[in-house]
Amino acid sequence: MTVVNLQYYAQLREQAGTSSEQVTTTAASLQELYEELRVRRGFSLTAEALKVAVNAQFSAWDRPLRDGDTIVFIPPVAGG
Amino acid sequence: MRFRLSSEAVDSAQLRDALRHPASGGFCAFEGWVRNSNEGQEVDGLSYEAYADLAMAEGERIVAEAIERYGVTDACCLHRTGDLKIGDMAVWVGASAPHRDEAFRACRYIIDEIKHRLPIWKKEHYVTGESDWVACTHVYREHEHERHHHHGHAHHTHAEAFVPDYSRQVRLREVGEAGQAKLAAARVLVIGAGGLGCPVISYLAGAGVGTLGLVDGDRLDASNLHRQTMYHARDIGELKVDLAARRVAELNPTVTVQTWTEPLDVANAVDVFGQFDLVVECTDDMRSRYLSSDAAVVSGTPLILASIYQYEGQLQFVSAQPGQPCLRCLWPDEPAPHAVGSCAQSGVLGPVPGVLGAMQATEALKVLLGLPQPSGSSLVLVNLLDFTIQHLPIDSAQGCALHGGCVEVARRALSEAEDEAGIDLAFGRLEDAMAQGFTIVDLRDADEIALEPMPVTVARWIPSAQVMARSCELTAGRQLLVCASGRRSAHAARQLRARGMREVYSLAGGLAALRLTI
Repeated sequence: MTVVNLQYYAQLREQAGTSSEQVTTTAASLQELYEELRVRRGFSLTAEALKVAVNAQFSAWDRPLRDGDTIVFIPPVAGG
Repeated sequence: MRFRLSSEAVDSAQLRDALRHPASGGFCAFEGWVRNSNEGQEVDGLSYEAYADLAMAEGERIVAEAIERYGVTDACCLHRTGDLKIGDMAVWVGASAPHRDEAFRACRYIIDEIKHRLPIWKKEHYVTGESDWVACTHVYREHEHERHHHHGHAHHTHAEAFVPDYSRQVRLREVGEAGQAKLAAARVLVIGAGGLGCPVISYLAGAGVGTLGLVDGDRLDASNLHRQTMYHARDIGELKVDLAARRVAELNPTVTVQTWTEPLDVANAVDVFGQFDLVVECTDDMRSRYLSSDAAVVSGTPLILASIYQYEGQLQFVSAQPGQPCLRCLWPDEPAPHAVGSCAQSGVLGPVPGVLGAMQATEALKVLLGLPQPSGSSLVLVNLLDFTIQHLPIDSAQGCALHGGCVEVARRALSEAEDEAGIDLAFGRLEDAMAQGFTIVDLRDADEIALEPMPVTVARWIPSAQVMARSCELTAGRQLLVCASGRRSAHAARQLRARGMREVYSLAGGLAALRLTI
């Protein structure tokens, strides 16, 4: 089990109903974690549409999770 | 036929009903009546004589001008000829529009121009038994004063007299007289004069940037006013670039302004970028952002991107220098419209684009003044709910560098876009497309269709999110994809073309464009 801190932006924040949360997960990678959250939170966007950053650095989706990671999911936005 | 001459009494109810339209939220009419006196003489009747052919042509032109100028849904005018008694209606003008302001102004424009330009002569019959032809003089035309007041030559005299005072910024050690001279020599292109563009344009004009290029094809809508702070309620219906140019002239008449009233496209973007030192991308359109990033990289012009969503925003500086990341380094392909949201669909708090636009303006001045940009190659995430700002460095080695470099990737994207230039087709009526053998495919969601049913029976309904999965249904003959604005349909058509489906097209401007041409 890994404990990570999540931050959501834009549509994900709206759909999650919160800007941030702490979760305990068995997911091994960012990809698995997002799929888990997608089911639980009902996110409409797939991982391909998003960017992910861990501890303030953009990251590949296959990165393994570590305790205490701060993970940010970022959708593209178009408003102006 | 929107202008008529009639020797019969005016049936105003019938004229009014002809201007009823679902897109119109208001209607305004003007009636001119025969009154019982003119310049101190008692009048008991009038006769109108018209040079009919010329009057009809000119009248038609005037009404068309009013529709174009104020963006009203419809307008018409009827002028009497022959003998009229006191109280008879001599002229009737009506205009219907989404909002009342355009309707009032169009109505006023038509009556003023009719009085001024139409070859119609009035003969007054006086109670004394005499009569006289009356020349129409002293016609006051409201719109002339509008124009005179706002652009006009007044600014020239003003420009000569006005000496800008930049002392508050020149006092900054990093600016000084040398920095001010750099700003005066600078040419900045601002794409989009909306929520982001308003603060960008205002601050750059105020700072004394020598030349501002402004690009926007939209007209001001009442729903823009909560976040687009340069504009006034009275401006609704006018082109934003015209309004923005006027605002710049009022704020700092020493700034030279160039305007583009159509969005840039693949044919001109690189050339236009080449005429500027810096571009600030302020549209709400993903396609425009990608075109801007590609044009910036190819022309070597630095670009400041920003976009917003509800209470948040993203900012990225593209230096267009070798080894520095572009938009495609982060997001290689344009995302589907449904993935990105919009102010209209998702809502936005007015000050959010204000904050992000002010950040773009700050970044622009830093670039022009040569100040350090510590976040130069980062994506900056701004969250105005909790006031956090995150900087995420973009590793350019993981972006376009893997696909031949930013310039190569941008050139490829521009050339693909050129190939796709024929995808958007404009039709006045969907019936015309059907007559030419197009199968009409409605890509809208069920709730949109319920609000605005298609004007014709469509062959297929495939919500845009399902279109790729159901592409096999679109193989027989030429397909015209249709959505509300033309964005989703164009995106879907490009994706389908990329799969080798060459006969897929998109209705340019979507159903909204059809509505304008009815």
